[in-house]
Amino acid sequence: MTIGTFFGELVKSLFKRPATERYPYDRKPTPERLRGKLHYDPEKCSGCQMCIRDCPSQAIELVTIDKENKRFVMIYHMNRCTFCDQCVQSCRFNCLDLSSEEWELASLQEEPLTIYYGRDEDVQFLLENQAEPGTEAHPCEE
Amino acid sequence: MEIKKVDEGKFVVPIGPQHPALKEPGHFEFTVDGEIVMDAKVRLGFVHRGIEKMAEQRTYTRDLYLMERVCGICSHVHGTAFTLGVEKLAGVTAPPRAQAIRVIIAELERIHSHLLWLGVAAHEGGFDTLFMYSWRDRETVMDLLELLSGNRVHYSANVLGGVKFDINPVQTDQIRRGVDYLEERTQFYQKVVTTDNTFLGRTRGVGYMSREQAELQGAVGPTARASGVTRDVRVDAPYSFYPQTPVQIVLDDGGDLTARFIVRIKELFEAYRLVRLLLDNLPEGELATRMPRRIPAGEVISRVEAPRGELMYFIRSNGTDMPERVKIRTPSLCNWGTITSTAVGLKLADMPMLLAGIDPCFSCNDRMIRVRRAGEPGVMTWDQIKAGKGGWSV
Repeated sequence: MTIGTFFGELVKSLFKRPATERYPYDRKPTPERLRGKLHYDPEKCSGCQMCIRDCPSQAIELVTIDKENKRFVMIYHMNRCTFCDQCVQSCRFNCLDLSSEEWELASLQEEPLTIYYGRDEDVQFLLENQAEPGTEAHPCEE
Repeated sequence: MEIKKVDEGKFVVPIGPQHPALKEPGHFEFTVDGEIVMDAKVRLGFVHRGIEKMAEQRTYTRDLYLMERVCGICSHVHGTAFTLGVEKLAGVTAPPRAQAIRVIIAELERIHSHLLWLGVAAHEGGFDTLFMYSWRDRETVMDLLELLSGNRVHYSANVLGGVKFDINPVQTDQIRRGVDYLEERTQFYQKVVTTDNTFLGRTRGVGYMSREQAELQGAVGPTARASGVTRDVRVDAPYSFYPQTPVQIVLDDGGDLTARFIVRIKELFEAYRLVRLLLDNLPEGELATRMPRRIPAGEVISRVEAPRGELMYFIRSNGTDMPERVKIRTPSLCNWGTITSTAVGLKLADMPMLLAGIDPCFSCNDRMIRVRRAGEPGVMTWDQIKAGKGGWSV
């Protein structure tokens, strides 16, 4: 039976640096396998859509611009992504990868969290041809 | 609201569902005579999320990630229980290396869960120094899990048919070093919880539960083992890689809160031994096998030992790529009965410690909600349950 089993520990802690880390001033290196932002390589993609079928949070969409010439645009909704790595596992052509460096992804708006991946001209084509909500009059009002 | 009439001189102390001392919503009614608890009632169901129903509308692969989110602390065992069940239905066995990695992650998770519990239980007992120190050391094992999987909490180690990642020799060394440090620290914590007078004052003889009582109440996991009940799925029905690495069951006959502390701390040592043993004898080979998308029709029961006790999954397949029914029974639910029986005769101030003693996870165990109207009987017949006419939803 003792009292104050922690006294020794407390004395030791007097001479130690605090266990807390001074983030964001001091940053620890990220582990190699850290799962951060998803990256997509349109050159390798075959458009099989297995990643979309297996995504548990429906965070990715694939828009086919031209199937014959393999022109695809991937819309990645980062706010829905759970960073589970299933899409990377499901991809047979290694065109998906989770970055281990990009992990400070918080944003108050939804817009910066929606990312378009693909060839520049394809993304441009998609954005120009997208239906813009509110610009056209409602058919019943005409 | 109905005002309850109680006997002369007795009060009902309602606690929760929203209460600053409880981190999760649960409602308790303690009938007290002075400071002594005469009766205890538990009401659950405040965090019902409809996970079982949601699982019926998703493919097996997508369900795996849903199941991991049943519990934030024991996320890997939920995934493992589901994966083992689906693999059994499909007639697929994961390669030995994948099975061993699953067990390593499961044991690291057990270390993380028990250290977290040690902190929470100490905090409920007013011993915040132990809480801070054990949580600081828990960071070591969280870092190891992040090193292996890339995530601190939802490791997502499983895929249907295997695991996602390998363990390389550099990581093996880091895990060994981490486990060595934690073992040294755990020895110190063992000394604290078994010898410190102030701590023993809160735990010794509190919430005593005999072996017969524990068996009658259907207690599972460390709560049952602290009363001397030999109940551990890893020993009774070894799964995954446990047949090759037998677990030594940790028992204590104390039956009180001190025994629950001792059992969990000794289980930490057992987990360290298992992690080292598995790292030494990691079989070579593939990480995953091919898994069919459509699972043959059938039913399966999959049991695993979660840090809190036995976790059971029932999966029924109808031959498509989505399950027809998934039923989950978490260990916290089995242990609630022990609270209401052991609380009687204790002081009201002992209640937080007693609750923390079973390591309850409220969000895990809310599987069903039943709205009871006035005058309705509290018992459902088997036919009513089958027909879904009991006014309940899963």
